[in-house]
Amino acid sequence: MDLLWFTIIWVIVSLLGEWGLHALEHLGLYYYTASAQAIAGEKAVAFILTVLVPVISFVIVLLVYNAIRFRSRSNKPILSRHQFRDNKLFIGSWVILSIALNILFFVHPSASAVEQMFNSEEARFNRNDLVVNVTARQWEWIFSYPQYGIQYAQDTNGNSTLYLPVNRNVRFVLRSYDPYHTYAPYIGVIHDFWVPAFGLKQDIIPGETRYEYVHTNKITSYDVDPMVRVQCAEVCGPGHPYMEAPVHVVSQTDFAKWIQVQKKLQQS
Amino acid sequence: MSSHVTDLGSSQLAEHRRRMLPPLVRGLLWAAIGFLVFNTLVSQILDRQPFDPFITRPSVAIGWAAALIGWLLGVGGWEVIVRPYFGYPVEWDVPNDWRRYFMFSTDHKVVGLQYIFSTAGSFFVAGFAAMLMRLELMHAKLWVFSNPGSYLATVGIHGTVMMFSVGTVALVGGFGNYFIPMMIGANSSAFPRLSGLSQWLLPAGVATVVLSPLLGLWDTGWRGYAPLSGQDPSGIVFYYLGVFALTTSSLMVSINLTATILFKRAPGLTWNRLPMYAWGILAVSLLNIIWLPEIQMTFVLALLNNIVPFPLFAEVGTPLTYMEAFWLFGHPEVYIIVVPAFALWQEIIPVMGQKTLFARQWGVLGLVFVMLFSGLVWAHHMFTNMRNSEMLPFSFFTEMISIPTGFAYLVVLGTLWRAKLRLTAPTLLVLMSMFNFLIGGITGVLLADPVVNLQTHDTFFVIAHFHYTIIGAMIFTWLAVAYYWMPRLSGRMYNEKLAILGAIWVFVGFNGAFGQMFFLGLRGMNRWAAAYPVYLQSMNFSVSMFAFLLGLGFLFNLLHIAWMWNRGKPAKKNPWGAQTLEWQTEAQPGEKNFHPLPRVETGFYDYAADGPSRKDE
Repeated sequence: MDLLWFTIIWVIVSLLGEWGLHALEHLGLYYYTASAQAIAGEKAVAFILTVLVPVISFVIVLLVYNAIRFRSRSNKPILSRHQFRDNKLFIGSWVILSIALNILFFVHPSASAVEQMFNSEEARFNRNDLVVNVTARQWEWIFSYPQYGIQYAQDTNGNSTLYLPVNRNVRFVLRSYDPYHTYAPYIGVIHDFWVPAFGLKQDIIPGETRYEYVHTNKITSYDVDPMVRVQCAEVCGPGHPYMEAPVHVVSQTDFAKWIQVQKKLQQS
Repeated sequence: MSSHVTDLGSSQLAEHRRRMLPPLVRGLLWAAIGFLVFNTLVSQILDRQPFDPFITRPSVAIGWAAALIGWLLGVGGWEVIVRPYFGYPVEWDVPNDWRRYFMFSTDHKVVGLQYIFSTAGSFFVAGFAAMLMRLELMHAKLWVFSNPGSYLATVGIHGTVMMFSVGTVALVGGFGNYFIPMMIGANSSAFPRLSGLSQWLLPAGVATVVLSPLLGLWDTGWRGYAPLSGQDPSGIVFYYLGVFALTTSSLMVSINLTATILFKRAPGLTWNRLPMYAWGILAVSLLNIIWLPEIQMTFVLALLNNIVPFPLFAEVGTPLTYMEAFWLFGHPEVYIIVVPAFALWQEIIPVMGQKTLFARQWGVLGLVFVMLFSGLVWAHHMFTNMRNSEMLPFSFFTEMISIPTGFAYLVVLGTLWRAKLRLTAPTLLVLMSMFNFLIGGITGVLLADPVVNLQTHDTFFVIAHFHYTIIGAMIFTWLAVAYYWMPRLSGRMYNEKLAILGAIWVFVGFNGAFGQMFFLGLRGMNRWAAAYPVYLQSMNFSVSMFAFLLGLGFLFNLLHIAWMWNRGKPAKKNPWGAQTLEWQTEAQPGEKNFHPLPRVETGFYDYAADGPSRKDE
């Protein structure tokens, strides 16, 4: 009887959980996404949680069911009438299922998504990428566009700003050093290049050059959602919280216009 | 070096024979003398620097080491360890009253209580730091702290003290020292003098870390990350020194408890009968013995990097080396914290349910394999800065470690089924702890996935995840055992209603605060930020409210325990009806646990009415 009741409750709670998760998925598990990579990550979260909802419900329902159903009404120790130390079916299925689930997650989404990520970083797929050189210094992001001869992309107030065309592969070339104090080898610290809406981040290590590839997939900007910003995610000193810059993903024509404006700014 | 300090001490010795200063006062005095002499020696004679400052980084590091040794000798190391080493008789009278907690003691019960008090003290110091952080984060702009650096120093103190003087210590140095020798039927731990010494490193380490900002705000968080630490003011030197003292303390505890479990078991206490908690402490001690020396060497390198200075981790060195070496220890550390909690679930539930422990061998396997796997998962902390090809193996092992972890659940859930479960405060806290760790574990599976990790790394999602494993699992279990063993420790019973209120209180506060942090992280809240974009403010405000509720909840539990410790109803011997050996003796600190030593005939977890352990009743 206990087994039956437990199973019924478990199934109901699992279904409710799946329904709740589904509703959350519609709202957006990552809240706001603006790149193919972010969507891949969001899908991975959704897949893992969809599979795990019955597992989570199993443990929680069992904890609560046990606590209520098998509680003792006396506060004196009374031996339980059911004493057993083994149940081969329960243990066996627990062990096999937990191994199976883990192998499943390793194959998908871990390995499969990582393979996609590897592919997106293959040089042969990235011949026409927009290259953005990102320099992290304490405490500023500097964006330059070598293909367009732009050294320091800035808005009208002279603050760093990042413009990207929509539906393009972008290759960020990440370096951490201070271009204004290149004689000081101790000045570089670890930063982390993160655009929350792009769904991935990459540490920037002094003395190394790293790459991050993003495929933009919608026109948006910091003004549409504040997750469309560059934010340093690795502590880099007191200025760390202020090390951010707005991002604008714009249409191809707007991007070309912006390039022209930047070129003029460079000359002035 | 130590011999110089002891020479100093010997000039006072003639006096001290007649009338000794209280050990704590003498320890402070000797520490001050040690610091002055060695600091002066280094900064004025051996290593004079331009403009002749009295305190330099090298001099303060050496001076600190001398002060630490002076402190350890002053509280009793001189009489208990150094003099006997040269053949003098031990002349160290421990009075049979409250004073024994304020001096060197070789009684494992006294040491255990000393650790319990100092970890609880550390918990509230570091918890106060957390409250300051949450106060700051109620508002998107700076308003509590005058600059982001002082916020970062607070973050660093909170993390360091919680990790190295609460998480790593409370269930091992504290309850482990008190109960492990009793549970295995021994009268003392294997190395009682080592154990007595180790406790006194803890207050020294905590004081060093907590006072470090006086020498300059360090901003690296609890990890002391290089190369950033290379730029930090001198406070960072005291971070490395303080953590060195704290980790040394845990290392000594682990060596002692490992040897105790290996060699001091009562006759008949075979490996098959070893209590689950002893298995947990054995696993965690082996982890400590493997990994603490590794992180200590890393911290020594980072210290030298700062005080010499070297460019080891700057861009002309290898910045990643520090990170790698740190996380090589850093992930086992998580299991160092949580493994004793797993073991304690399996200790408390069969007692409270009066039901035979289910699938015990799988529980033991779980503890041991978590210990073995924990050294293979560390680089998942570095998915954002490693080569793609290196991600998959670490992702694999990180996902796989959930299997042995799950065995703890298998055992407890199986034991609960058809038990006669008393819903006491310890039971409730264990169930809550299991719920919290479940959430921590599930989000851990998400974090083990590289693509998801790249988004959630260094956000509040990670903060929520590891607080679910550490507060959620370990601190809740700590509270559970505090209530469970309170009758044994104090001879008095707590108030059940108040304790259950306290448990529900912290559960609501905890889940309210940290549950929201998952969403805060996904919404774009990064770590180590005293100021943040305004759109995150309302959620942060709500997190802070629950955090204050949680803080008050812990305070409530503390006051309740402290009050009942002295005023509670006298408890019966073995009120829960447990079978483990710590309930078979009423020995209090200063008394022998067992005489004669017990002879163990059966395991401790068989509750069958006609079971072997019932026959002699």
